[in-house]
Amino acid sequence: MPRSKAPYWFVGPALFLMFVILLLPIGIASIMSFTNYSLGNSGAEFVGLENYEKIFTRSTYEKMFGATFRYVFVVVPLSVGLGLGAALLINSTKRFGDLYKTIYFLPVMAALIAMAIVWEFAFHPTIGIVNSTLERGCGTFLEVWGWYAHGCERGFPLWLTDRDYAIWTVAFIGVWQGFGFNMVLYLAGLTSVPRELYQAAEMDGAKSAWDRFRLVTWPMLGPTTVFVATISFIRSFQVFDTVEAFYPQGGGPSKSVYVMMFAIYEKAIQQNLMGIGAAITVVFLAFVMFLTLVQRWLVERRVHYS
Amino acid sequence: MSDTTLSSTSTVSLPAFRFSAAETLKHAVLIFGSLIVLLPFYVMVSYSFKSPAEIMQNIGGFFGAQEAFRDDYCIKLGNDEADCMVTPIIYNYTTAFEKAPLIRYLLNGVIVTASIFFIQVLVALPCAYALAKLRFWGREAVFGLVLFCLLIPVHAIALPLYIMLAKVGLTNTYAALIIPWTISVFGIFLMRQFFMTVPDDLIDAARMDGMNEFSIIWNVMLPTAIPALLAFAIFSVVAHWNDYFWPRIVITGDRSLFTPPLGLREFKGDADGDNFGPMMATATIIVAPLIVAFLIAQRRFIEGITLSGMK
Repeated sequence: MPRSKAPYWFVGPALFLMFVILLLPIGIASIMSFTNYSLGNSGAEFVGLENYEKIFTRSTYEKMFGATFRYVFVVVPLSVGLGLGAALLINSTKRFGDLYKTIYFLPVMAALIAMAIVWEFAFHPTIGIVNSTLERGCGTFLEVWGWYAHGCERGFPLWLTDRDYAIWTVAFIGVWQGFGFNMVLYLAGLTSVPRELYQAAEMDGAKSAWDRFRLVTWPMLGPTTVFVATISFIRSFQVFDTVEAFYPQGGGPSKSVYVMMFAIYEKAIQQNLMGIGAAITVVFLAFVMFLTLVQRWLVERRVHYS
Repeated sequence: MSDTTLSSTSTVSLPAFRFSAAETLKHAVLIFGSLIVLLPFYVMVSYSFKSPAEIMQNIGGFFGAQEAFRDDYCIKLGNDEADCMVTPIIYNYTTAFEKAPLIRYLLNGVIVTASIFFIQVLVALPCAYALAKLRFWGREAVFGLVLFCLLIPVHAIALPLYIMLAKVGLTNTYAALIIPWTISVFGIFLMRQFFMTVPDDLIDAARMDGMNEFSIIWNVMLPTAIPALLAFAIFSVVAHWNDYFWPRIVITGDRSLFTPPLGLREFKGDADGDNFGPMMATATIIVAPLIVAFLIAQRRFIEGITLSGMK
């Protein structure tokens, strides 16, 4: 179509918006991360690597990385594992599979901020349904479990306001919200596993369900797993809604839930420290882009079975 | 669904009782999971039915007793006590609408999500068509750029975007809520992949009939792309109806621009003991549209949401 200028009219608006909305901001953030810019100030001073130095030395940011990685490394394996487990179970039951699928997918559809507020109720130490349910189990065989007996005697944890439990409780909500999404992707992946492979594996002596999983299902789901894990990583790195809902100020009990997106929000938007916010943004982008590139690399070198 | 089961191939030969034991165990696990998944939904809907006293003491089952209770706020306004007796469920839902302009929030949510989707399509469709079906200098570079931009999560660059919008004085406007989402590289990528499968003959025939490229997009390509567009619509609407982070940043204080998640968050901010019921009613109202739509058109929704699974 060399005679026509039409393609450029079609591509133009998208190209313009890509530059202004996606690429320019990355440039701005990179430049700003070397300054002490604040919104409202006429200018800004160049401060060199000072912002980055703060991020990698101060204890606040050490806590930020700690909370972020703790969250990510709980949510990713659990939501991928539970997603796979649910998909395998649903795929192997004869009945009600669609019903379970629908139920497990509900949290993906619901506004996380709304569900966070509900979970806060559920985890409330005195009127919450979680602790009142746990108390009902007191005096039964469950007390064999040391932690449970301790809870019955001295009261169950405060969950969201307890320094030792807060990040894990928030991570639990992340898993609750995300594993249904992974399950659906795995269910799609399972439909593309050819049945003959199972028969072939059986003829070759794969007798138990575990053998069939190890020899056929898991390798065939490899590409799905790479994708599901990457998506989960990127999503959990971006956790914000639950943290802001539970801890509008400060990032939880002794900053134990001070995740990166919340740090950007707090530093830049609440405290108008744009330089440091921009530096966290750059570090954050580096993480996310690195992960996605690893994923693409893994996908490209994957072994094709079919 | 049972075509690719893991166990059915081998369990056929096993005695019937073994089979049902395994099946029962699977269902036990799946039901236990369902209970945990459904717990907050149960709490949310149940609390939206109950009176403050029932919520505080954790009694009343799912629906509560629905006994009328005294609305203290109403008494404070100088009304007679007999006029101030309210049924919990009615009180909760009417308060949800009266205490905050919930209708306005919902309307804002509709305006914002609809605008975002239409602009995304308006921008992405021609671009995807050009990338898939037209040959021009620089096409590979543009597609490469699209692939690169897929790496960038928009939430992560919220800070520079916020500064840019603040510099041009656009914070606290509808434009601020919509502009960052007008470009969907994912939409471009998706539609391009879809258009690649449309036969060239169809386009050539349209050209023979004297259609220009512009009308080919809207009269030929758009109708063929309806299934993909529908899936993309679901993907886009779910993401932006539920989005909390971005509105939180660009809308500060101006209630008339609040989207539903912001409205709920503000409700939570000044909720006291009496307001837990109405707050849960608000949460239910905000979550309900997507859940109901999902239950009606499950297959389409799951397709739309997992679109990002296409490689």
